[in-house]
Amino acid sequence: MSALADTFSAYITRQCGARAARVTEFDKLSGGAIQDNFGLTLELEGGRRPGRQEFVVRQDAPSGVAESLSRAEEFRVLQAAFRAGVTAPEPLWLCEDPEVSGQVFYVMTRAAGSASPRKLVKADFSEEQRWNIVRRLGAELARLHTVRPPQASLEFLVMPDPDNPALSRVALYRRYLKEIDEPHPVLEWALNWLEDHAPEPGPTVLCHCDFRTGNYMMDGDELTAVLDWEFAAWSDPCEDLGWLCCRSWRFGADDREVGGIGDRQDLLDGYREVSGVDLDPATVSYWEVMALVRWAMIALQQARRHMSGEQRSLELALTGRMVAQMELDLLNQVQELEDGQ
Amino acid sequence: MINQPETRDLLAEARQVLLESVAPEVAGEHKYQALMIANAMGMAIRELEQREQGQPEQTDRALRAYLSEQSLDETAAEAERDLARAIRERRLDGADPALRSVLRTLTESRLLINNPGYLKR
Repeated sequence: MSALADTFSAYITRQCGARAARVTEFDKLSGGAIQDNFGLTLELEGGRRPGRQEFVVRQDAPSGVAESLSRAEEFRVLQAAFRAGVTAPEPLWLCEDPEVSGQVFYVMTRAAGSASPRKLVKADFSEEQRWNIVRRLGAELARLHTVRPPQASLEFLVMPDPDNPALSRVALYRRYLKEIDEPHPVLEWALNWLEDHAPEPGPTVLCHCDFRTGNYMMDGDELTAVLDWEFAAWSDPCEDLGWLCCRSWRFGADDREVGGIGDRQDLLDGYREVSGVDLDPATVSYWEVMALVRWAMIALQQARRHMSGEQRSLELALTGRMVAQMELDLLNQVQELEDGQ
Repeated sequence: MINQPETRDLLAEARQVLLESVAPEVAGEHKYQALMIANAMGMAIRELEQREQGQPEQTDRALRAYLSEQSLDETAAEAERDLARAIRERRLDGADPALRSVLRTLTESRLLINNPGYLKR
């Protein structure tokens, strides 16, 4: 551990042009089975960032499976989001030379607070605080969605195919389901419904694609950083809003539709204030159904990793048993949408 | 063969010891692991209970009755696989209440084992 701290410290010292550095804190942060996140606090002498500096170093875990963006790609997405004004950790340096630490890694600033979803959902916020947080979430997404293709630094992100992000997702999930040799009639039924009800696509924008409670840091009632950019993709703006509203991410606070925190209308209002765009609530609801299917697909794949022996894990095995929850939500939600029309 | 006490009883007792004696004494990652183990054991216990009550057969009968109404082969060994395929191939009407009802029955049967609390939400 301390050898790793010295490695990162030496690297940062060089990047800052500092005379010397002293490691005051170094610890492995929780979260991320594919990446390791390290908190590193340095006392830097001279150079471009003198004094006490808190960093996060993110690198592939030794057993890392590349199912999402690589660290280098993630760094570029984070740069694009940061430049667009999203409250995210400032991406500082990407080290692609595996000789340095054994893995590709990057360094970013450390945000204050906690991302724990259970803590956040149980927090004793006033209605006004909730209103503020949810509008802020909408505003952050609106800023992110100003990033549009083509972007030279993001050429690794594929465009939706067909040229409709919803139908592109349906095709992808049908492929996943075919690969998984296990019958899931509810998911097949939901995919048909999603195909038949696909809305007119909005603009194609940079979506976070895992923007949910648990993936943004809060310091009290203040959002300090949007984290975990490895699933970013070109997609429909409503994909991000639907994912955030998905029942699976309310952590038991089911009546607070936006991530267990607050109301949907406030999210849309916060989005409109920054972007000038009035998103259609029906399209957000559609993407919420998509979110349930997507989470079910992820859970099925995680269970597969356990069942195949690739990564035996009780947590992954139990995740597989959660699929029926998403299936029940799908049956209920489609019915509610149809009854409401 | 008589093999007493019953497996379900063994599991239930083991789970209780884990939750009441072991879990309160550990913290952090070990607490999380203890709760995951209790969760897995709970599923095993409920699955045994459901079997004793003939629940899987009941679900299977509902599924086969629906397939038979739709003139699909209800005698096929893997009725659920056939249902999934028929839906994928658009041979069934997704809006048909009878289809939705059978999908709900299948899902609820799994939740009775995996997470019965979710049915009450």
